[in-house]
Amino acid sequence: MANYTERAKQSHAVEWLNDNAQVLSIALFFIACMGFFWALTDTFMTTGNLLNVVRQGAPVLIVAVAMTFVIMTAGIDLAVGSIVALINALAAILMANGFDWVTTSVMMLAAGAVVGLAQGWFISFQGIAAFIVTLAGMSILRGIALYITEGYSIPIKDQAGFFWLGRGTLAGIPVPAILAVLVAIIGFIIMRNTRYGRQVVAVGSNLEAARRVGMPARWIVCSVYMMSGIACAIAGLLIAARLGSGSSNAAVGFEMQVIAAVVLGGTSLMGGRGSILGTALGALTILIIGNGLILMHVSPFLTQIVTGVIILLAVWMNTRLFGAGFKLGKKG
Amino acid sequence: MSETAQRGGAIPPNSATPLVSLRDIRLTFGSHQALRGVDLDVMPGECLALLGDNAAGKSTLSKVISGTYIPDSGTITVQGEEVRFTGPNDARSRNIEMVFQDLALCDHIDVVGNLFLGRELNKGPFLDQKAMLARAQEMLEALEIRIPRLTARVEKLSGGQRQAIAIARAASFQPKVLIMDEPTSALAVAEVEAVLSLINRVKAKGVGVVLITHRLQDVFRVCDRAAIMYEGTKVAERMIADTNLEEIVNLITGGH
Ligand SMILES: Nc1ncnc2c1ncn2[C@@H]1O[C@H](COP(=O)(O)OP(=O)(O)OP(=O)(O)O)[C@@H](O)[C@H]1O
Ligand SMILES: [Mg+2]
Repeated sequence: MANYTERAKQSHAVEWLNDNAQVLSIALFFIACMGFFWALTDTFMTTGNLLNVVRQGAPVLIVAVAMTFVIMTAGIDLAVGSIVALINALAAILMANGFDWVTTSVMMLAAGAVVGLAQGWFISFQGIAAFIVTLAGMSILRGIALYITEGYSIPIKDQAGFFWLGRGTLAGIPVPAILAVLVAIIGFIIMRNTRYGRQVVAVGSNLEAARRVGMPARWIVCSVYMMSGIACAIAGLLIAARLGSGSSNAAVGFEMQVIAAVVLGGTSLMGGRGSILGTALGALTILIIGNGLILMHVSPFLTQIVTGVIILLAVWMNTRLFGAGFKLGKKG
Repeated sequence: MSETAQRGGAIPPNSATPLVSLRDIRLTFGSHQALRGVDLDVMPGECLALLGDNAAGKSTLSKVISGTYIPDSGTITVQGEEVRFTGPNDARSRNIEMVFQDLALCDHIDVVGNLFLGRELNKGPFLDQKAMLARAQEMLEALEIRIPRLTARVEKLSGGQRQAIAIARAASFQPKVLIMDEPTSALAVAEVEAVLSLINRVKAKGVGVVLITHRLQDVFRVCDRAAIMYEGTKVAERMIADTNLEEIVNLITGGH
C-alpha cells in the first residue's frame, strides 16, 4: 500500500487569525485613526475630549448594536434616525404635558417596540423588502415628528433624574457611555451565547434552512426590527436628556452613521456574518473620525465627504484583504 | 384503470402499520402540478427507494413527508394517526428527519452549530457550547465521519463533508423515519459505504428509511422496495427482491 500522509494541521493561531480577521482589521484601522488624530491635534487625546466623544456617540453605538442584528438577518433599517427623532420629540411633548420622566421613558420604550414591530410585520409576514418598508418608515416617522412638533424644539424642564441620564457621570464616566457599553455587552452575549442569537445568525445565513429545522423564522426576522425600535427609543431618550429638549430635527443622518459603523465593523450586508465587537469598534471609529476632523478645523462641509470616503475605502480594503472566502449570493 | 391503479397502487410488504402513509397527495406550484395524487407507505425497518427522472417530484414528495411543503389535498397518516402538518416542526416532533438535497446548512455557523441547528442545548439562558461540542464529536464518530475542526464554519468544508454533516444531523437524533434526498451525490467511495451501512443499521432498529438516489446499484444493496415516480405521479412499485436493474431503468424512463 502506498505510504499516505496527512495534511499538516493549521496551527491554532492561524485558525484564530482567520476566524477573527474582520474584527482585527477594524481594530487596526481604529488604532490608526486614534494615532493619526493624536499626532495631528493637541486636544484629541485628552480625557475631556474622549469622554465627550463617547457621551455624544452613545446613541450611535446603542442603535448600531441593534442594527447588527438586523443586518445579520440580511435586512436593513433605514428608519432608525426617524424613530430616534420621533421618540425624542414625543418624550419632550409628554414631559411638557406633566408626565414624569420614568413614565415617559417606559412609554417611549414601548412606542419604539411598537414602531419596530410594525416595520418587522410588513417585512417578515408580508414579505415586502426591508429596504422599501424602512425607507417608507423613514419618511413617515420623521413626518409624524415634524407634524406633532410643528418643527419647533420643545424644551424639557425640571427633570433632574432625566438630565442625569444624558449629562451625569458615574465614577467620572458619562452615564450614556456606560449605558452604551452595557447595551453592547448584552448584545455581544445574546449574539454569541444564546439560542436567540444563534437563530438570528441562522436566519441570515440560510432562511429556508432555519425554517426547515423548525425555527420560527418569520418571528425572528420580525423581532430584530422590534429590537432596533427599542434601541432607537433608548437613543432618542438619551439625546433628549443630554440636550434638554426634543426636536423633530434630532438625529438627521443618524441612519448613515449607524449603518456605516456596522458595515465598517465587518458585518456582511448579505447576512449571516458579523460581530458586535466589530460594530462597537466601527462605531467608535466613525465617532472619532467626526470628532478628529472637527478638532483639525476641517470645514464641517468636508467632514461628510471625508467620512464617506474613509468608509468606502475601509470596506473596500476589508473585502479585498479578507475576501478569500467571500461568496456572493447564497445557496437556498 | 381504477383510480388506485393510476396512482401506482401500493403493495403492502408486510402487515405492520406503516410509519407514514400518504394518500392521494396533490401539490401544485402556481400552475405547475408537482404532485398529481401520490400514495406511499413507509414501513418500519424498511428502506424504500424513491426513484424517478429529474423533476419527477421526488424531492417535493419527500418534503411533504417532512412537513416542509403542505400538500393542497390528500392525507398523511403517521403510525395510524391522521396528521395535518403545519410546518417542519410538526414532522420533526414526530421523529421524521430529512437530509435535504440542498443540505439546508447554514454556511456561517460552525459544524457543531449546524448539527444542533434548531435543537440547541442550553445551560440556563445560554448555549451549552461545551456539551454540544462533546456530543457532536460522538455523533460524527458513530458515523465514522472525519472533520478536522468542529468549530470551523461550514462554508470552509468540502461538498462531501457538508453532505456528511447533513446526514449526521438527520441520523443522530433518534429518527423513526429518515428521509435522504440524494445523500451520497458528493461522497467518495468509503463515505458512500458508510452511508449504506448507516442505512442498514437504522433499518435494523426499526427505522423507516426513504432513499432518493440516482445510484441504482445502491438501491439493490440496501433497499427493500422501490417506488418509481414520473411527472408527479407514482407509476410503479416493486419489491427489490422481485425485480432487476433493467426493469427499474425501464420504469424510470417510461420504457423509451
Ligand atoms: N418551490 C418550487 N416552486 C415551483 N416549482 C417547483 C418547486 N419545487 C419543485 N418544483 C417543480 O416541481 C417539479 C418536481 O421537482 P422535484 O424537485 O420534486 O424533482 P425531483 O424528482 O426531486 O428531481 P431531481 O432528481 O432533479 O432532484 C419540478 O418540475 C420542479 O420544477
Ligand atoms: Mg430532487
